[in-house]
Amino acid sequence: MNISPVHYIALPLLAAFLIPLLSKLHKELARIVPGLVFLYFLVISVVLMQRLETQPMISEVIAGWSAPWGINLVFTPFSGFLVSLMSFIGFLVWVYSYHFKKIDYMPAQKYFILLMMLVTGSIGIVLTGDIFNLFVFLEIVAISAYSLTAFYPGRDGAEAAFKYLLVGSFASALILLAIVILYTQTGTLNMADLAVKMHEVPHYLKVIIFVLFLVGFGIEAEMFPLNGWAPDAYSQAPGPIGAVFAGIVVKGGIYALVRVVYTIFDLSGVGTILIALGLVTMIIAELAALRQDNLKRMLAYSSIGQMGVVLIAFGIGTDTAIFAALFLMLNHALIKSMLFFSASYLLYNSTTKTIKELTGMAKHLPFVSFIFALGAFAIVGLPPFSGFWSKLYFLMAAADAQMVLLIITVLSVSVIEIIYYFRVIGKIYSKDETSELEPKKPTINSVLVMTVLGALIIIIGVYPDLVTDWIHHASDALVNKSNYIQNVLTENLPR
Amino acid sequence: MNTLALIILIFFSGATLAYLSSLISNKLPGWVALLTTMTGTVLFYMSFQNEQALSFSIIGLNLEWALDNYTILFAHIIFGLGILASLYSVQYMQNKSQQGSFYANFLLSIGSMFGIIISKDFISFFIFWEIMTWSSFLIVVWNGIGFRKNGIWYMAMSAIGAYAMLTAIVLINSEIGTYSLQAFFNAVQENAIDNLMLVSILLLIGFAVKAALMPLHIWAPRAYSNTPASYTSVFSGALSKMGVFGMGLVLIRVFRFSGLQDNFDYALVSQFTSHVLAWLGGITAAIATLYALVQKDAKKLLAYSSIAQLGYIVIGLAIGTKLAVMSALFLAIMHAVFKGALFMAVGAVERQVGTTDMTKISGLIRRMPWTFFVTLVSIIALAGVPPLSGFVGKWMLYEALITNGNFFLVVVVFFSSTAAFLYSYRILFGLFLGQEEDDTAHVKEAPATMVIPMVILALFLIVTGTYPGIVFEPIAHGMEYLGFTDVTWNMTVLSNVWGDSVNLQYVSTTIGVAFMLALIFLTFKGRKGTRGVSTKDISTSGEIPLEHENLTFQLDFFKPFERAAAPLYKRSITKIYEDVANGLEALFDFTRKIYTGNGQTYAIYVVAFLVTLLIVVQNML
Repeated sequence: MNISPVHYIALPLLAAFLIPLLSKLHKELARIVPGLVFLYFLVISVVLMQRLETQPMISEVIAGWSAPWGINLVFTPFSGFLVSLMSFIGFLVWVYSYHFKKIDYMPAQKYFILLMMLVTGSIGIVLTGDIFNLFVFLEIVAISAYSLTAFYPGRDGAEAAFKYLLVGSFASALILLAIVILYTQTGTLNMADLAVKMHEVPHYLKVIIFVLFLVGFGIEAEMFPLNGWAPDAYSQAPGPIGAVFAGIVVKGGIYALVRVVYTIFDLSGVGTILIALGLVTMIIAELAALRQDNLKRMLAYSSIGQMGVVLIAFGIGTDTAIFAALFLMLNHALIKSMLFFSASYLLYNSTTKTIKELTGMAKHLPFVSFIFALGAFAIVGLPPFSGFWSKLYFLMAAADAQMVLLIITVLSVSVIEIIYYFRVIGKIYSKDETSELEPKKPTINSVLVMTVLGALIIIIGVYPDLVTDWIHHASDALVNKSNYIQNVLTENLPR
Repeated sequence: MNTLALIILIFFSGATLAYLSSLISNKLPGWVALLTTMTGTVLFYMSFQNEQALSFSIIGLNLEWALDNYTILFAHIIFGLGILASLYSVQYMQNKSQQGSFYANFLLSIGSMFGIIISKDFISFFIFWEIMTWSSFLIVVWNGIGFRKNGIWYMAMSAIGAYAMLTAIVLINSEIGTYSLQAFFNAVQENAIDNLMLVSILLLIGFAVKAALMPLHIWAPRAYSNTPASYTSVFSGALSKMGVFGMGLVLIRVFRFSGLQDNFDYALVSQFTSHVLAWLGGITAAIATLYALVQKDAKKLLAYSSIAQLGYIVIGLAIGTKLAVMSALFLAIMHAVFKGALFMAVGAVERQVGTTDMTKISGLIRRMPWTFFVTLVSIIALAGVPPLSGFVGKWMLYEALITNGNFFLVVVVFFSSTAAFLYSYRILFGLFLGQEEDDTAHVKEAPATMVIPMVILALFLIVTGTYPGIVFEPIAHGMEYLGFTDVTWNMTVLSNVWGDSVNLQYVSTTIGVAFMLALIFLTFKGRKGTRGVSTKDISTSGEIPLEHENLTFQLDFFKPFERAAAPLYKRSITKIYEDVANGLEALFDFTRKIYTGNGQTYAIYVVAFLVTLLIVVQNML
């Protein structure tokens, strides 16, 4: 069988329909099939990434309609990087939550189908070369995310999901509006074609479309002040889903934003806007994180703050900065999901999920506490863990751009980050008093997942060259806009 | 394989091994640590005279490691203290739990200190610097008590310092396009760095945090007094010297020998910075000494004393004349030795008696004679009294300050050294002299493996008191690396610019003879039966004190002094910091007002943001 990017989309959709039927045969299949899908994702990622060594990109048209008329999926080193990362995190989440709701199979079936759709939707956002198709995938992500936020019955989950829905529907409306205006002006929906025809759009309309996209995708990318939904959603969704939100879904939002800014539009001065928005997002989120009593909300705010840094890096826009941004995304996906995984176990039997309840947990759960501490060390950028290198490159990019004030601000905020993370570590390792929480021993598969992530963080920290080539290719592919346009439009010429 | 890389590798894998061995038995990590430091030290001393260099690249950044004379000077401190402290530690930590994580971090911090000094590029310098910070942080919070008070402050202040340094590093890289230290020094020579002053000041802030210079010192008293004594000797003796190491590079290589001294603006700013730093050093010495005076806990006292001593060293480096730098480096080595010995001695008391509270212990002289001897020698060195080596350092510092015209600083240093007599006497008296108490009657001397390292350090102090040349030699070589030429030194003779000279051999012989005579006299006199009295056996104007009334001398030891200096103690810098921190946290609470948790508010935000952006962006693009 010829492997192509279409499999990323077709297979999980097929599986999602089949799972309810298959689980009639055997209940365990509802758990196994999504895992097989994720495993297959990993296989195609490896195969396609290898194929990229010989050709600049893989562009696949759907249903024989070639671009710019049909929908196409584009697998460039940049999208390949994100897709592989998403597949990897998705697979780890599946392994981690294999025993989710062990006794109850109906909720588990729902959970796994939704998880699969969430990951598929995010991958779709990254792969598609068609702006309307991107919108469709965004909706798939949003709907699965709403349902997962309201997964647990109860008032809080429903409320969080409703807030998310409310803000999320704004996002959909604005993006759709932007696409409509674009279509009326250019008559095409293909992103490469749009980039070529962008000069036909009058300037004022261009700006309006840009702002609509910015706000719409900004909601998914957790930009301030559009991120009110995020802390609620992170804290109400099942534990591992926090890792999916931070590691996969946000990356999709950022990707969409970046694709629009870098490929479709050629506006000058966009960088400054991104830097300003990223800076505000980062500062407010980290300050909010400092004041949280709830561990998951704290992690959520920290995640928003990190996305702020990524936005700043994309705003600076030099080669080093984009490299740093992608490295930051990789690290954030690995480290934050590890933090969410370990935090779920630390607070397993807690109803309120407050940091206070963690006191002295290290005595009962030494391994999970160690993993959490490792994650905290890595995410604040202490060497020799992976977070250090991305931070260093980010600062190098800022220094090359002569932004001394920016460096000072980001680093001051990093001090705050250190304080709130180390407070939590202090609580976990405190011997002053002991926790009243009933500890839950981690299952063998979750231990495995956390070990893999922990090892990766240390290995990348000590030997970053392992991943940097990959990231360099990805950032080159993103910067080289004309290459993208040319390849999409020539490769998909009518046969 | 390259020896430098091998030593680093030994320490880092030793750390892993120490942790893993604790899974088998809690007793093993101590021996693993001892073995690791021994191997590392032996390797270093076998090869340090050869030219050593190593360079490799990681994600396109060139990292270089090499040995030079300035490095070797600090390597002596690290390995000397490291090996003695790990020998001491085996018995000291004997009955404590979780030795695995303690020793793992112990080895990591020693290894990373060596890494810092051999780094010839900013990236590996910073990486090792941060490893040193977090490994020492993990030892500070190792016992898991009082994390919020001790650990957070240490980590937060270290982060501020480290990030100041990181900012400087990336700025340097953006200007000269490389992280190499040598390239940086060359660029300084050629005046190729535009914001050199900003960069230097940021670097100095980073180093000042580790050297616990006021007002960046607030982490130090708590961190020093909260760590196990076997590590505190390294912490205060060697780790704080990393700040001195860096300051030496910036203040001397960049400020003094930059080749820009003709540039008026540059000279003005660099001299101003040096002066500010010298004064901060003076203030640190004076204030920390005052705080040391009123401490009731011996470890806290030593912690403040460490801060004060580093103040002198900073003064010497900031003045920057040949003599001043020499005295600063001499004092740095001596401080490592006597403070290492003192922390070990207090640790021995802590282990044998169970507390270091000077109001609870007294009269240990007969119980722990060796520990007493070490303490006595160390405080004499600390106070700067002949015939021990502390005198030599102070002598040179005074001379350097006077010849440079810093008379005010002379007064400050003189004041704080005099006050240092008071606290060093207090620690000697508080722990060892005074009445013997019944509840310490069972106390025995510490085990031999703890006594031997302390005694070695004490003997070193005595020998260098007469022959300071032993230490001057590596210092002189180190100073040549920094850029000084014709650094002269004498084995036993101290001379000054006014033509006086002191032969230390005569001094020590005279004092030695006088001491022996006094000892003989006192022994004879004391042979007549002495009557043992209890603490309560004193005149109390006819009133018999109650059982719970504490009548020991140690309580309110310097009461009149404390009363006189009371206004000084009212304003605590720590309190100011805490108030600021709490104030900021309360201020940050406004974020709660933004994230109301109300869906409608969030929807309004979206609309408002959209409208604002439309208006702003329309005008911008």
